[in-house]
Amino acid sequence: MMVKCVIWDLDNTLLSGVYLEAGAQPPPPDPAMVQAAATLRDRGIIHAVASRNPPEAADYAARVTGLEFAAAECGWGPKSDAVRRITAGLGLSPDAIAFVDDDLYERAEVSLAVPEALVLSPEDMTDAVGWPEFSPAVVTAEARRRNEMYAERRRREQEARAFAGSRDEFLRYCGTRVTIARATESDVPRLHELSVRTHQFNTGGEPVAEPELRRLAGSAECQVTTVRLADRFGDDGLVGGCVTRAGQDGTWTVTLLMMSCRAMGRGVIEALLAWLAGSAARAGATALAVPCLVTPRNVPLRLALTSAGFRAGPGGPPGPGPVVFSRPLSGPLPEVPGWVTAPPGPEAAAR
Amino acid sequence: MTGQGTPEVAGELREILARATGREELLGLSEQAPLFGDGVGLDSLTGTLLLREVHRRFGVDVAAEDLNLDSLATLGTLATYITEHAPAGPVSGG
Repeated sequence: MMVKCVIWDLDNTLLSGVYLEAGAQPPPPDPAMVQAAATLRDRGIIHAVASRNPPEAADYAARVTGLEFAAAECGWGPKSDAVRRITAGLGLSPDAIAFVDDDLYERAEVSLAVPEALVLSPEDMTDAVGWPEFSPAVVTAEARRRNEMYAERRRREQEARAFAGSRDEFLRYCGTRVTIARATESDVPRLHELSVRTHQFNTGGEPVAEPELRRLAGSAECQVTTVRLADRFGDDGLVGGCVTRAGQDGTWTVTLLMMSCRAMGRGVIEALLAWLAGSAARAGATALAVPCLVTPRNVPLRLALTSAGFRAGPGGPPGPGPVVFSRPLSGPLPEVPGWVTAPPGPEAAAR
Repeated sequence: MTGQGTPEVAGELREILARATGREELLGLSEQAPLFGDGVGLDSLTGTLLLREVHRRFGVDVAAEDLNLDSLATLGTLATYITEHAPAGPVSGG
């Protein structure tokens, strides 16, 4: 499993000393840890802080290390609680987390309470930079900006909490822009990365290799579509994609659908499903089908499908193997929100 | 142990929904109100928060038992589903 986020202790880990014991001049950063963190940042791995210190300690650490933290939990509760809150807040799964702490007791406590996380000492960390868990095969433009994007996300969420109004109103206030387009050659590495990294919004459950994506994008039998997301807080770049195939029987099938969890709660998956339904209907299709490998992790995807009117057979508990969610294209279709820019006609999507 | 009836469950669900969406007016939500679309406007984020909290408070893993998530049609259908599927023993509150 690839690590997506490293959660750092501060005292004697990211800092070479103890913040509260240092008097007027807090301890300097630990050069080896800062170097490891910067290397991981450039590979698209994000950083967070869990520390037994006042909140200003995290701001101080960000200043002296030059790192941006996607989340910071400073307080005196159990470290495992802080790790869980950070993981949930970032929409990540616990097995995408590494936790670094110099204190043996803290490491044991987190290992026991969050067994999926990779728990490391600072000494391990210098070595771990070379481990496969920390070495994504491709580093895309989105990956290099990932730390910044999570910092933007923190600012967006602070405003969302203070905002009086519905989620739709907030998305409008943010100037949310969703751009749907046909995939080009230059999108292929990022689409591959999405197929590897996305789990909560992924119908396939299998990485798709770059040559295969290139073949699909150039094929006349299907269409590969990209989704980009931006707002006034920042540009999230290419956050999702799908592969659609127009069948002879009037059914359009989405053979792969994937979306970054960063887009969650920002109306993007909903916009894509609405656009797909509308495009398929305009092209004369009578049904839209989404085969999906149901897992405990892609519940958010199922919520989006249910909300957009998709159903899979008679219901009941999900069995093993892929399930086909589908919806008819007669009657009212889900509305494409006004902030979506997309190719309007079927000619852009069909064939 | 006294099992919770549907009205009590619905009351707790209103609190969960109000917190997940930040919309206090949902505390007065009717049992017939749809959770998706025009009613509560549940999306993949708020829906996930709701299901996580339902699992924690009532011990019912809706996503694992209801493939189509039809139990999320309205506040009333979800409360009924939880009442019917809740484990017999008490679930530790928290």
